Amino acid sequence: MNVIEIKDLKFGYSSKRKILNGLNITVKEGEYITLLGHNGSGKSTLAKLLIGLLEKNSGSIIVNGLELNEENVNQIREHVGIVFQNPDNQFVGVTVKDDIAFGLENRRIPSQEIKEEVFKYSKLVGMEEFLDRNPEDLSGGQKQRVAIASVLAFKPNIIIFDEATSMLDPLGVKEVMDTIRSLVGKKTIISITHNLNEAKLADRVIVLNKGEIVLDGTPQDVFKEKEILKKANLDITDSMKLIELVKNNNDLHQEFRDKVEEALWELTFQK
Amino acid sequence: MNSKIVFGQYYNSNSWVHRLDPRVKILSLILLMVVIFLIDNIFFLLGFFGLTILVILSTRIPFTKFLKSLKMITFLLLFMFIFQVLFRRTGELLFTLDFTLTIWNLITIVILLVFYFLLGKVFKKFRFVQLLLILILAFVLQYYWVNGKEIVNYQISVYEDSLLTASFVFVRIVNILFLSSLLTLTTKPMELNQGLESLLKPLRALKVNPSIFTMMIAIALRFIPTLINEANKILKAQASRGVDFKEAKLKEKITQVVSLIVPMFVIAYRRAIDLSDAMEARGYDPDATRTSMEVLKFKMADIISLSTICLLCVAIIVLKIVF
Repeated sequence: MNVIEIKDLKFGYSSKRKILNGLNITVKEGEYITLLGHNGSGKSTLAKLLIGLLEKNSGSIIVNGLELNEENVNQIREHVGIVFQNPDNQFVGVTVKDDIAFGLENRRIPSQEIKEEVFKYSKLVGMEEFLDRNPEDLSGGQKQRVAIASVLAFKPNIIIFDEATSMLDPLGVKEVMDTIRSLVGKKTIISITHNLNEAKLADRVIVLNKGEIVLDGTPQDVFKEKEILKKANLDITDSMKLIELVKNNNDLHQEFRDKVEEALWELTFQK
Repeated sequence: MNSKIVFGQYYNSNSWVHRLDPRVKILSLILLMVVIFLIDNIFFLLGFFGLTILVILSTRIPFTKFLKSLKMITFLLLFMFIFQVLFRRTGELLFTLDFTLTIWNLITIVILLVFYFLLGKVFKKFRFVQLLLILILAFVLQYYWVNGKEIVNYQISVYEDSLLTASFVFVRIVNILFLSSLLTLTTKPMELNQGLESLLKPLRALKVNPSIFTMMIAIALRFIPTLINEANKILKAQASRGVDFKEAKLKEKITQVVSLIVPMFVIAYRRAIDLSDAMEARGYDPDATRTSMEVLKFKMADIISLSTICLLCVAIIVLKIVF
């Protein structure tokens, strides 16, 4: 079943500044998709369009069989959760439990039930010991995990991660990526990033450049198109750079080169 | 990063006042303020003040915390007291003091003041007490040390009424300040906010939505520490580029403040946009009703406290009407 269908989606802040030029994307239930793109490629704009924070110019967005418009935007937001980039700016509550409860309070869930859900989902992301802490006491990775818990709490079937790890230290990135990986298969995940190391974890990678889809396929297929990735201003991983070096080195034996290349590809996709 | 900024002055000693419902505390404060202004017998007022002190002591919060709330208005209180005593001339004359300002004690006073201002950097603590001592000394000198060439001779008369009114105002203000400190010291800002929201609910009948107002307070409470951290970072960044915030001329200071305010404004604005996106995405609708994780419930202690205060209020009003 298709949970998201995007047809000929166009968006621009003015007629001169076009951000998205006719995107077509279909997402299947339970799929883990990465939107890969450089700054200004329109990937975050797409996320905001998907949950109705921005209004499209033309085209259509169908989420769970409902076409997104002004009337049913709140209905669609029940099914689509989003985790933003900045850990501080999406922390609404004064404490961890207040923050997880915020979305549930908006949905008029009774008090007792909120308390149970808050505990359940804080435990799921491993933050149950921090329920009474203020955001100042938490690391970036912990804040992002709280953000994930507060999104999970209202049980969406689609979760968007809008560069959720780009402002974190390496430890925080690992924490958040582990949490995301624990959700794979249970939810439809759309992860937005410019990092190929994160993209390789997905089932499917869509590369955006200047508001257009330039590549769409499995990470294995997409990563082979190095020229297009470079054109889209994306940094290829170190192991991919090594492959290039080995491939172009004519001093080495052909058989050896093939073997090294194979091993390096394996390294590239190691999860 | 580790400097923790605590907003509000909540002091956790988990007393019976801490455990009261915030709504009861807010209502009590309002009622007690009315009572304080209704009482027109100085002995009743002092008795009431004594009661306040007893309640304060029962919370086990250090008394200095309450005295700190007076610090800000010490000058105002003293000024008011002195003016009331000096310029009101009704009622029975209590006593008259005869002061003479002579050349010698004028010179002494001027020297003392010069020392006070010059040695400001050496004796940094208790500046206000120092000034007060000098002023008292000035009057003592004018009363006892009267030889030398006289400049002016004047009298200060204190009347019964003036002393009474001055003490009334003094006790009332101190009492109200103590009570409101009691509220903020025993209630967390968020509890206070929740109590306020609950109390303002009747405004919905007038199509005013109190939850928007209380949501704003909640967000302010959430972001003030974050913004202060941010401001500290900017200050450090500016300092590392050679801006000296401590010792600069007034004109330089103004440009320095601008160099702090402009980035702070931009940062706060960006945060606000991000936050509103996050809130909207999580289904926040300012006009819709929301439930709340922590539901306020009146307990036995709340009912007893509030009814006691209501009885006190009624008793005072009845006494006022009868007598």
